[in-house]
Amino acid sequence: MTDTTLHITNKAPDHPRFRYCLSAFKEGDALILMEDAVLALTDQEQALPSTSYALSADAQARAVANRAPRQQLIDYNDFVQLTATYSRIINW
Amino acid sequence: MSTLIIIDQSPYGSWAGREALDMTFSLAAFDQPAALLFVGPGVHWLCQGQNADNLGQKSVEKNLSAASMFGVEDILADAGSCARYNLAIEHLISGTTLVESIRDTIAGYNQVVFAG
Repeated sequence: MTDTTLHITNKAPDHPRFRYCLSAFKEGDALILMEDAVLALTDQEQALPSTSYALSADAQARAVANRAPRQQLIDYNDFVQLTATYSRIINW
Repeated sequence: MSTLIIIDQSPYGSWAGREALDMTFSLAAFDQPAALLFVGPGVHWLCQGQNADNLGQKSVEKNLSAASMFGVEDILADAGSCARYNLAIEHLISGTTLVESIRDTIAGYNQVVFAG
């Protein structure tokens, strides 16, 4: 089974490491946006992979939750669930 | 002697912005003209409807609404950054002014400092 990776980042979209994270993303991977990274949900210059999720607590704090697609918002339990699903995890 | 404090980091991600806000209010409290300019991810400081309860933090929206009471003259937001993050003026707290050019805005102040 090829390695599927869960990418996790807390960097704001304009942080260089946010771009490295997206460039490493492969088919079958997933991405979790937390803290400042949730701003990518409404960033018009940043396309996100379809399997991207954002922590709702961070999205609500920054008032982007109400402007993001519902299914992309997850809570901490979902977060833990995802970490159990992928064979490799990278924290960017 | 006017000071422009620029906040370019998202709220809740670090403490740098909150310290800059305290500095701004201190300046204003001592009758030093002070203004705030939010750029990049920092424009999210100005969003209405911030709910930081689940982070166990106080909403920065409340702190900012006290700005006029402190005599902080201008609350400025970079129009380009707002467009990037799909924020229209009605998403932002009242009293926010959109600025088209950071360069021209900076030219209007004696001192310019960054948060963090």
